[in-house]
Amino acid sequence: MKKLITGSLTLVMVMYGGLALAGETISFEDPKGDDDGPGQYTYPTDAVYTPGSFDLTDVEIADKGDTVEVSVTVKAKIDDPWDSRAWDGNGFSLQMIVIHIDTDHKAGSGYKDGLPGFNVTFADDQRWDKALVISPQGRTRVQAEVSAKAAAMKKDILIPTTVSVRGRKLVARFAKKDLGADLSKQWGFQVLMQSNEGFPDKTDLLTRKVNEFGGQHRFGGGSDYDCDPHVMDLIAGKAQGDKSEKDAQHKMLGTFKCNPDGSGTRAVLQMVYPEG
Amino acid sequence: MRTSRLFLALALPAAGLLGFSTLAHAETKNFELYGKIYTKWLYRNNDTSGVLSLGNPFWPDNMSGDNGVGTEFELNIKGRVGDKVQAGVRIKSRFGALWQDWWENGDISYDAENTSGESLGMNRAQYMKLRGYWIQAQLPIPFLDNVLVGSSDLGMFNEWTIGKVRYIDRDNGKGIFVQGAFDEDYLRFHAGIIALPKLWVGPNWSTGVGDANVRLPFYSQDWAYGLKLESDVYDGIKVTAIGTATVDSEIDLNDPDAVGSNNASCTDELGNAIPGCERNGAVDWTDRYTNIVGTLETQIDTWDGGSFNVLVGASYQNINTAAAGNGVLLNNGVFPLVYDPSMFGAFARVRAELYDIAPNVNLQLEYFNIGQHFQTIFGARREADVLLTDGFVEGGQIPTLNSANEFVDFDEAWYETIIGWHGATAILGYQSDIEMSLEGTFLTYNTNAQNRDVDTKYPDFLHTDGFTDTDLYDYANVYDRGRDPRSVFRKNQDRMSAIAVLKGLWHTRLGNGLDVGLKTKFIWDKDDRSDTTAADDYLGLMSMTRLWLTYPAADGLSLTVGGQFDYWQEDNRRGTIEQGYGDDTTTKVRPWLAMSYTFDGFTLKYQLEYMYKDAQRERDDNRLFHVIRSKASLEVGW
Repeated sequence: MKKLITGSLTLVMVMYGGLALAGETISFEDPKGDDDGPGQYTYPTDAVYTPGSFDLTDVEIADKGDTVEVSVTVKAKIDDPWDSRAWDGNGFSLQMIVIHIDTDHKAGSGYKDGLPGFNVTFADDQRWDKALVISPQGRTRVQAEVSAKAAAMKKDILIPTTVSVRGRKLVARFAKKDLGADLSKQWGFQVLMQSNEGFPDKTDLLTRKVNEFGGQHRFGGGSDYDCDPHVMDLIAGKAQGDKSEKDAQHKMLGTFKCNPDGSGTRAVLQMVYPEG
Repeated sequence: MRTSRLFLALALPAAGLLGFSTLAHAETKNFELYGKIYTKWLYRNNDTSGVLSLGNPFWPDNMSGDNGVGTEFELNIKGRVGDKVQAGVRIKSRFGALWQDWWENGDISYDAENTSGESLGMNRAQYMKLRGYWIQAQLPIPFLDNVLVGSSDLGMFNEWTIGKVRYIDRDNGKGIFVQGAFDEDYLRFHAGIIALPKLWVGPNWSTGVGDANVRLPFYSQDWAYGLKLESDVYDGIKVTAIGTATVDSEIDLNDPDAVGSNNASCTDELGNAIPGCERNGAVDWTDRYTNIVGTLETQIDTWDGGSFNVLVGASYQNINTAAAGNGVLLNNGVFPLVYDPSMFGAFARVRAELYDIAPNVNLQLEYFNIGQHFQTIFGARREADVLLTDGFVEGGQIPTLNSANEFVDFDEAWYETIIGWHGATAILGYQSDIEMSLEGTFLTYNTNAQNRDVDTKYPDFLHTDGFTDTDLYDYANVYDRGRDPRSVFRKNQDRMSAIAVLKGLWHTRLGNGLDVGLKTKFIWDKDDRSDTTAADDYLGLMSMTRLWLTYPAADGLSLTVGGQFDYWQEDNRRGTIEQGYGDDTTTKVRPWLAMSYTFDGFTLKYQLEYMYKDAQRERDDNRLFHVIRSKASLEVGW
């Protein structure tokens, strides 16, 4: 009996231990109806891509002891039409989210290019130092993709220990030790909404392409080359959900340039610094 | 896009050499190609050759068997016809040939043995087959977003009406589909007309082929019709209505113009003219089978603390008994629908999910009531799960008698029919580095009845008794594998059941991230069967416990070791009132190893397991199994 009580207490301590040491919580809001990238992107035509599936509305990043918990809410209920459990996935199918974090706000410090497949860069003084990946794919698959397609960034790309679905919200938990420091409102954040592609192009980290014209499983409204940003939604301005942030997003993602031969310059993104 | 440029780079010089440079340039720049090679190894310590654990249950195919290796190749071609028009095809080789099948062209050989390699069939020829083709257009028509002509996975409807087809079948469904919106928020629509698969959707799994009541199967005018309307009636409230009609038509043999007409001469047996009978060069049709299904679903996500879902549905079926034979009678109860010429049915499912009722703790609640006469012939057969419960078999619960557990390997999920289920489920979940859930389900059955007509009306799928053993399943039930997962009707049933499941997964963060998993399930299943005697009362107490460790040994490499222990105690598992019943116990032990490795588009999976089963049977001989089996697959795509 004594062992049972001791074991139970240990389990409770493990389960609630993180809460006792909880720290900073950072919240962002994003206006609804801006899941159109730079303003003209369209969803793929297949019925699984229900309206609002890529429309960010809320993001919360919370320090919970030895864990950083990230909650991302979208406009539509998060479904699992491709039965992700059958391929060791996380209980959802469509979304793919990456949170780029600038921890030092120093010019030239960090990675300038976004993760492969997003086709974005960051302003020189707002380069990212850590990236949190929330994918429906299982850990092994994401690790393999990162090693193959983002090897140089690998040590700074974090994969969650668990991901769960709660209606319109995804909750991912990351080991805080991998972040390297306590969460801070001095840091800059950029949350990029994309779609999970199980059969990605050789240069894309599990992201779905944006083409000039949409297809059954392709976003439309962009370019057939990789000069356009493959991002459906992000946080902009002060990230408080103000309608003006929609224009700010369109303007930010619209800074790319595509030449007729496919060359060009990529969109330059700004971080959101809660107290920076 | 890199693919298309690569193709362009390779194709242009080659086309230039052939003198078609202008044509090639114009055509190939719009092409996008991708291919896939899939190889499967399947081995077991038995004496069967093939690469499929369970094949066709009725017409044994020669690809089924437990020892073999085979490969298939798939080529997808997508093209842009215009700015708003795209087209695509999927070409795939026929699976089933073994690597040992050198020179084979087919699977039907000469009567006498010879070594020519010539044969008459095509199953082992590995020929490329056009599996899917589609044209998609965004036509400039008001309110219309898309038109799709050709292949679809039918995923736009739902499991209760027209189910999404199995992944490997995803291009076999053909139809015409339109999608659009009168208002993007308040009224979106999706409509389709779908060609019925002639060897699946209908009485006796057919739209007339093989039915003794159908002289000349006329399947080319068999269609299903579907309409889905969606509305975001309020921010966070979505209402979806779906209506479908599945219609199997046949030639009206009373029409004198029909081939094989009963009235070809428009005279009766005495030579008198039949009133109204006249040859006019047109042939009338009659419906062999009609199934109408409608569902209404409301999803409510207005509250941060939880979500709610209410789904109700109704069905109607009409069987033309002159054109559809009674398979319940003729096939010993193996038939995918109740043989009732005119039958109404209904169901309801209400689901609530409450988030964070305590830190990291969620609660899911579900009530379900599936009428015994709810009938959906085109509903999801597999790869779907419409209830929260873990159920009796692992895999999923589906709302049709037409479920399918064939063409699977030993490591694949099973699906059971829930017609008649009435009960509720509660699942308490906890999620942090430890993920845990505790399920409790209690159910009784709308199919409980005495002296039910299982001879001519209600299909019982022949095998109605005993807990189903999906690990060692054979269609003939020669090893007493238990109840058929489709068997929801018994002659005498007074049944109730309870299911308790504890699942746990601990992400320990040890090393690269060791995961420790646990699943234990307990089922209490009681069926008093006939109310005239207690001698046939069934009581099953089944427990299944599984423990496993998974470790990411290197980038892309995951190793798993696990073990499962089952103990089933079943009083009066099987028998008859006349001959008596027996009390049986079953013990199963299954240790296994698994590995997955992914590298740059190279995906390798492997599973090796040992299955020990000891069935101690009171009335029959005991059964003992020592099975060693493995499966590996290698997939590359580009």
